[in-house]
Amino acid sequence: MKSRATNMNKWIGPCILGLVAALMVHGPASAHGPLFSPAPETIWKDGTEITLGSHFDKATGGGKKEREVETFLEVEYGLTADWQIGIEVPYSWKEDDGARSNGPGDVTLSTKVQFWQRDLPGAQYKGAAFLEVKLPTGNDDSDPRLGSGSTDVIMGLATGYESRRWYWFASGVYRANTEGSGNLEKGDRQFLNLVGGIRPVLSAYEEPDTVLMLELNWERSGPDRLDGVKVGDSGGWELFVSPVMWWTYRQYAVRAGVQIPVARSLQGSQATTDYRARLELIYHF
Amino acid sequence: MRIRLLRASIIAITLGLASATAIAGAHQYRLRVDGLACPFCAYGIEKKFNATKGVKAIKIDINTGTVTVTMEAGGALSEAQARQIVKDSGFTLGSFQTVPGPAGKAGN
Repeated sequence: MKSRATNMNKWIGPCILGLVAALMVHGPASAHGPLFSPAPETIWKDGTEITLGSHFDKATGGGKKEREVETFLEVEYGLTADWQIGIEVPYSWKEDDGARSNGPGDVTLSTKVQFWQRDLPGAQYKGAAFLEVKLPTGNDDSDPRLGSGSTDVIMGLATGYESRRWYWFASGVYRANTEGSGNLEKGDRQFLNLVGGIRPVLSAYEEPDTVLMLELNWERSGPDRLDGVKVGDSGGWELFVSPVMWWTYRQYAVRAGVQIPVARSLQGSQATTDYRARLELIYHF
Repeated sequence: MRIRLLRASIIAITLGLASATAIAGAHQYRLRVDGLACPFCAYGIEKKFNATKGVKAIKIDINTGTVTVTMEAGGALSEAQARQIVKDSGFTLGSFQTVPGPAGKAGN
């Protein structure tokens, strides 16, 4: 039977790494919205959207050095013009103080319902609610862990305005984490996001289209618990400024952006985010 | 001479009837669609109308928010049908107009 100290030594690293990786929660994807936060848009009835993306995280500090590259495939389908379902399958490469692992991560199932829409000539207001369930399909015995070993629920609300020239979005997300392997329960997370955007050139329908956005992303994590005991070096909040660019042409879209930390308050000694970057290729039909 | 004249008359009448029929069958509609802001999202309208029986061509002007639907000969589109297609695409039909045919000809 493992001692409590042994159990803590095994899982203390994942508490810190998990803060970096798990903070990359953005809600169901939408090519038509922010990159690091959720959008109220849903795909049209019987439409399918496929996203192939990658995100890159680097965190240092607290005596730790962590990197993660995750590639994911996401498929979304419009049951109606206001209701879509989706699935995301990730594959990660992780490095934590010299230890490396790679493999499939936790699969996420999602659904989004657009409950409010107001259409004007050349503009739309929208509001949507979404729910995601992250399943414990990734390997939680690897070092670093590729999966959390827990089933977690992510829910949120998003609203926004889009017009030919201007965009804005606002969203709130809550992630409820359950106890995973090793009796580790990561702290619940909250996210608040504000986004503004502009389309510099009003292109015609069959021309390439570019939109520039700036996101303000605030993330907070409650303390982790190991065997029911609060982990001192866990929890806190970070604030990011995130420039994002969309480029679309007909059925194709490319989105790219970077999250730059501008403020933080973390408990104890933890690795802090140096940067995060994200790139997505999207096709819908 | 008479036979040649008769043949020419028959050809002229036939061509005239064919032209009138084609013009009478080629219905065109101009829709104003509200919420049309993003070309990437507007693709849903193109796809939905192209999948509709009888639609020959569709042209989207995103800067004016108008969608022009051209039907095949003999085809027609009702306002209710157009409203549902636009709704399923994620937008709202603002107005629906039948576009008259070439000047002086009945196109609808």
